[in-house]
Amino acid sequence: MKKTLFFLLALIGATCSIVAQQNAPTSEQFSSPTRLVGQLVNEDGVPIVGYATITLGNQNISTSANERGEFSLSYLEAMDEEVIIEADGYISNIVQVQLTPGQTTDMGNVTLITDMGLAAKEEVLLTLAEADLNDDEGKSQSVSSAPSASQDVFNATTSFAWSTGRYRNRGYEQTFEKNYINGLAFNSAERGTFNFSAMGGLNDASRNKEIVSNIEAANFTFGGIGNSTNYLMDASRYAQGWKVGLAGTNRQYKGRVNATYASGPLNNGWSFIAQLAWRYSPYIDAKGIIGEGIAYNSFGYFLSAQKDWQNGHRLSLITFGAPTERGQSGAVTQEVYDLTGSINYNPYWGYCNGKVRNSRIVKAYDPTAIVSYEWQIDPMQRLRAAVGYHYSFYSNSALTFYNAPDPRPDYYRNMPSYFYDGQLDANGQLISKDNTAWMNPLGITDDNGNLVEQTYNGNIVGRTMDMATYQRLTDLWKARDNKATQIDWDGLYAANQANNIADPNGSASYMQERRHNDIEEAIMNINYSNSKFDHLKITAGMDVKYAQGIHYKSVDDLLGANQWIDVDPFAERDIKDLATNIGLTQEGIEFVKQNDIFHPNAVKKQGDRFGYNYYMNMVQANVWAQNEWNFNDFDVYYALKIAYSSMQRNTTMVNGRAWYLAVLNERYMNHYLGQDAQDILNGKEKSLYRGYAHNFIDPAFKAGFTYKINGRNRIKLNLIAQTEAPLARDAYVSARVHDAVIPTIYTHDYAKNLAEYFASSQKIAGGDLTYEFNYNIVRGRVTAYYTQFWDGSEMNGYYDDQARTFVNQTLTGINRAHRGIEAAAAVKLGTYFTLTGAVNAGDYRYTSNAYSITSAENGMPVATKMDGTTIHELVDSVYINGLHVANGPQLTASLKLSFFHSKMWFADITCTYYDRNYLDFAPSRRMKSMYTGTYEDGTRVNGSYRMVSNGMNQGYENAVLLDDAGEMVLDKFGSPQLRYPYNLMADQESLVSSNVWNRFIFDASVGKLIYLPNRQQLSINLSVTNFTNNTKLKTGGYQQARIARGNLQQKKTEEGNSVLMPNAWKFPSKYYYAWGANFYLSVTYKF
Amino acid sequence: MKAIKYLSIAALAVSMTACKYDIQPDKLYLNEDKVKELTADGKIYHLDELLDVFSTTEEGNYKSDTVNYRTRANDESNNPGIWLYSIDTLPSSGPGIYIRGRVSTDDYGGNFYKALVIQEIVDGKQQNLRLSIDMGSASGMYPRGQELLIRCNGLAIGRYANQPQLCVPSYNNNTNASSAEQKVGWNPGRIPAPFCRTHFHLIGLPDESKLKYDTMTIYQIHRDAEGNYTYNDIKGARKIDGRLVVIKDAWFDGQFVKTNGEQDTCHIYYPDSISHGNPEYDSNSAVFGPTTGNVGYPQSRCLVDKSGKNGALQWTLVSTSEYAKYAYFYLPFEYVDGVHKYGTFKGNVRGILGFYMDNAGYKPDRSKWSITICDLNDLELYADGTGEVPAGTKWGPYTRPDGQKIDLRKEWQMNIYERSILQTNEEKRKANGLE
Repeated sequence: MKKTLFFLLALIGATCSIVAQQNAPTSEQFSSPTRLVGQLVNEDGVPIVGYATITLGNQNISTSANERGEFSLSYLEAMDEEVIIEADGYISNIVQVQLTPGQTTDMGNVTLITDMGLAAKEEVLLTLAEADLNDDEGKSQSVSSAPSASQDVFNATTSFAWSTGRYRNRGYEQTFEKNYINGLAFNSAERGTFNFSAMGGLNDASRNKEIVSNIEAANFTFGGIGNSTNYLMDASRYAQGWKVGLAGTNRQYKGRVNATYASGPLNNGWSFIAQLAWRYSPYIDAKGIIGEGIAYNSFGYFLSAQKDWQNGHRLSLITFGAPTERGQSGAVTQEVYDLTGSINYNPYWGYCNGKVRNSRIVKAYDPTAIVSYEWQIDPMQRLRAAVGYHYSFYSNSALTFYNAPDPRPDYYRNMPSYFYDGQLDANGQLISKDNTAWMNPLGITDDNGNLVEQTYNGNIVGRTMDMATYQRLTDLWKARDNKATQIDWDGLYAANQANNIADPNGSASYMQERRHNDIEEAIMNINYSNSKFDHLKITAGMDVKYAQGIHYKSVDDLLGANQWIDVDPFAERDIKDLATNIGLTQEGIEFVKQNDIFHPNAVKKQGDRFGYNYYMNMVQANVWAQNEWNFNDFDVYYALKIAYSSMQRNTTMVNGRAWYLAVLNERYMNHYLGQDAQDILNGKEKSLYRGYAHNFIDPAFKAGFTYKINGRNRIKLNLIAQTEAPLARDAYVSARVHDAVIPTIYTHDYAKNLAEYFASSQKIAGGDLTYEFNYNIVRGRVTAYYTQFWDGSEMNGYYDDQARTFVNQTLTGINRAHRGIEAAAAVKLGTYFTLTGAVNAGDYRYTSNAYSITSAENGMPVATKMDGTTIHELVDSVYINGLHVANGPQLTASLKLSFFHSKMWFADITCTYYDRNYLDFAPSRRMKSMYTGTYEDGTRVNGSYRMVSNGMNQGYENAVLLDDAGEMVLDKFGSPQLRYPYNLMADQESLVSSNVWNRFIFDASVGKLIYLPNRQQLSINLSVTNFTNNTKLKTGGYQQARIARGNLQQKKTEEGNSVLMPNAWKFPSKYYYAWGANFYLSVTYKF
Repeated sequence: MKAIKYLSIAALAVSMTACKYDIQPDKLYLNEDKVKELTADGKIYHLDELLDVFSTTEEGNYKSDTVNYRTRANDESNNPGIWLYSIDTLPSSGPGIYIRGRVSTDDYGGNFYKALVIQEIVDGKQQNLRLSIDMGSASGMYPRGQELLIRCNGLAIGRYANQPQLCVPSYNNNTNASSAEQKVGWNPGRIPAPFCRTHFHLIGLPDESKLKYDTMTIYQIHRDAEGNYTYNDIKGARKIDGRLVVIKDAWFDGQFVKTNGEQDTCHIYYPDSISHGNPEYDSNSAVFGPTTGNVGYPQSRCLVDKSGKNGALQWTLVSTSEYAKYAYFYLPFEYVDGVHKYGTFKGNVRGILGFYMDNAGYKPDRSKWSITICDLNDLELYADGTGEVPAGTKWGPYTRPDGQKIDLRKEWQMNIYERSILQTNEEKRKANGLE
């Protein structure tokens, strides 16, 4: 291990020594060069101070403009040249110039036209990203990649237009999209994602950015397989003046006002900018609208001050934040969508004393402060450093209940389908629902639309209630009865009030809790670049982050109750079963349900913490170096990174289930209780109980080669190989309860060789090959990419009907491949029109089966062996080989027609097609043991933990498809094929509509910029997304992990247990749909 | 700088708004005026009256086609003309059909599951009706002592195993069940939770003190004034079902009744055996509700008093679900001279009177009456001090001798102990008039 680290560090040192040995430039290279200079300005003549690129089309040389919009290119070939100018937020411009030998050609002011629609589109993207952020849900709607108006044709086209379908860059998770602010890494250390809500409404703060696509060389970071975006918030990057804006929309919020003032560079070297933004929506008492049952209130501020000194030093002070309070909406089953007749149905709200009230209120606030320093040592060397502090308050409320009915209106037992449930005939075959019912949860209808009663052997089948009652229940849903189909807030208050009388010292029946997932981060970064050496640019950097995740629950609203007693309702329900596990007295068992055994039955009032209270301490450090070699015909770069990370969980509360698990098996008491296990078992109370630290070192290497065929055509090849430590989010089996981490991390902690050491880290290798072209009329690129992941891991938790308790399921050894082709081209059609086409045809699949370990959160056994002994950690393999990775559509294509008139009219219309989109699978439904009756280790399944109905050794006969020889029929990936209807329960579902027209989304926008006297401007922009109002486009969802136990309660198998019955309809999948037609109208006044 | 100042002031002016809901507690339930207003479109029926008016035929009105839609379990050979299962649908439209009653059950202990019993006092006498609802932990919404007004239109009145209840029609198609030929058919099903929310209304706040308990001896349960077995009168038994009773000077005698009606003695082999006495494997274990092998029927433990002629012992059953939270709690006993002994814990037992006749073949027998307690709070039993209560297991469930290792901070006394009736507290004995 040490040798390997030594080798890797030596490699970095060698890179630096190469630099040191480079010769200084010769004097010839400085003699009378052919140069090109100029300054970029906007339509007002104000310098463009954002991130801009200037490229010479024929010589294929490019540079960036400085913060005053100035650019300079030297040592050029004298020739007629085409200068391509691209800047974020502006429409690209191409200018013809003639370069004279040995002379400087000054282009003067080069005017770029503001892309008016972009600001509105970025705001829409931020809103989408924010809406998708359900931190505590585990199953959040997939967010699109970072809002970007990259200069790359493909990225520029797809970042907005494809966001409706939740397209993800090459099918990667959001954790691979890295986001930086002035060079500081701002993806969460714990969850790996960037919180776009932190900049909600502050589109000026996020306007200036540099974006590195996928594996390309980057100057502010090592990068990775996904895009890297660096937001530049220095005050001098903003044009001087005021800007006020007003916007209206029918999305989550309804109105937005904002104001920005930028001083521009002042004579004393200072620059300032301040922006305030307010977005708001009241509760609107209407059903079926976008944002149903949601209120929204967000106030954002952004302040930045910058001081420039003459000697090349610059200091920036930046702070921003956007305290936000917003309601949420949730995914529901297709049945609910169909019954309510709306894809906007939201189960999270109801009427409270006649007013709309949402139960899921997010409160988010990310106050951030950054001090960044830059020293332009000389024209060829630059040193940048920054420190940042960031505290992310993020909490989400939810209803919880104790010894009371589930308050969720869409709880599966409240739905008509629950009463139209699977029944079995005498042969154990499911006879109730057929394909028709699957497609139509309301049942089979006759020609008049009336439900038809089916009979079987003279008996009515297919439901457990009579038709009239069933019909009345569907009518309640169709009419959207307030008490039955929304949260009955008044009923919850009434229940608490009654409980106050019945049991004044008891726990509230209902309560609104708040789940806090805060994170505090201190970040520093140093970046050095040197272009002093011939053909070589050296960049090196180091960044360190200390982060602490802070997780707890608090009492948000007692809903009129006296108090909440801090015990776990589910553990309490399981107490009887726990009694048989080990020799616990009743006194001991009482510990189990406690959330804090040192403060049992604690009385909690408004604002009190309860449930859990743990801290996740994390350290991340990266050191990297990169060399970029640039020659006339080709460029080469390579980079190396060493990453260190650690995580440690500490808690102030000792959970009763953790204590129980430690008692259950004292050999592993530290596994659950951490370093202080012995003290805890001895009853010694402490202020903090320390978990174990887990440390990782992960190397990464990437390289790229560009062959310049000529000035307009080039071929690029990029490669990357890296390992990546698991995120804390995925590392702990149940961080809220105990200290146990996934088994591969234990292997890692006690590794005897490199293979064991890296057992827990995900290994990634990939590359892309690009052909890029850039002509006057057409420009674009075609890229083929391939990325292989090995040994990924993820956590799932769900209620297991067989174990009758909540279980955690760890999936390890996840291997997958992402491959595909990206292509985009923009073609100029005359003076006014541009046609842009883009397509991504990908194939993201799992390439092997994975392993799972399932354990009950409360320590109950999850199964029993044939000899009757219990299984607490069930190890099995999961048939996922060949399944699709559910990260957005794998085939997306769009065509966009843009219009621009010199009288400052803008318009575009886009048509986007989505296909090959798949539902996320639930591992619990694809366990080997369920299919075959044996676990991965060959032992037989006892009883019901399998998808069979009878028999001992031939138990799979009913569920699994057999050939004539009686052998299981396997698919091409080696997974057994299931019979109908069992296959409905397990097969991965396509989200794509069978109706081709439902796969298209049409967007349009139009804008006008009006010049007013005294350099004032008024701009008006309207964008309409999905203007054909396609409400059939599913963008995501998930298969419920919960599996129904069957209806064979009375029929015993030979092994003495009832069997697991795959009722495909009992816990159906939940879906997200793209919004219907929605608009964003903005008016901005600049002065 | 001025600009920043102005912007800062503007920022302060924009404040986060908070929505207030102004909950008025008295609007959350009905008072008598509201009850009148709400029921103006119809009539409030007494509970027995509802059965009399709408359950007009023995087999129920659901449905007349006995071939395709037969009602479950009509065993004409043993009990001609008497149906243990019936369904009578109530009109969904027309005049309102209302009932009102006070909840007499509590499901916190897990012994009642998706069922409530409501009690109405008419002329000083109890009338009771079971409500079959598809709502777990319903007591969180409808606690014991809560009076309910229920609009019955669209629901059904039925009998399940001869027990009358408010319900919806449900079809049992479990053709794999034992005696499926009797069980397959229509029977009372649980009222979906959305209907509970729309049909049930709270009247006032819960008041448990308004529940009426009939003090009865076990003999009185079994025999009427003429000395006839009450259970023998299958139709008459329906009117007694659901009655809230209290039995005084009663105790558990360590016996249980097998499904074939025979009595047997419970095991107390807790120290040395996995299967013998372990309630997870042994249905004879001396706990309230040991395993049924996943079948799920209630377990019966014999309760005794001396109410027979000349003080002869009489017994009935206390019925406990194996899913009750206290299912694995030992029946109360003491060690006397090293031998476990029942009968030293005596006192009051409160519960709901009922029976279970799931097919018409059952013969009348005193063992068929049972008392269903909500939880151990319904047992007011006090040790007489003649023996020693087993250490560590006094209140406890099945346990092994090494259970003593869980002695962490023994002073932690949980609520459940305070709620437990299994106490030897002298003061409490005196307070209850036992000394």
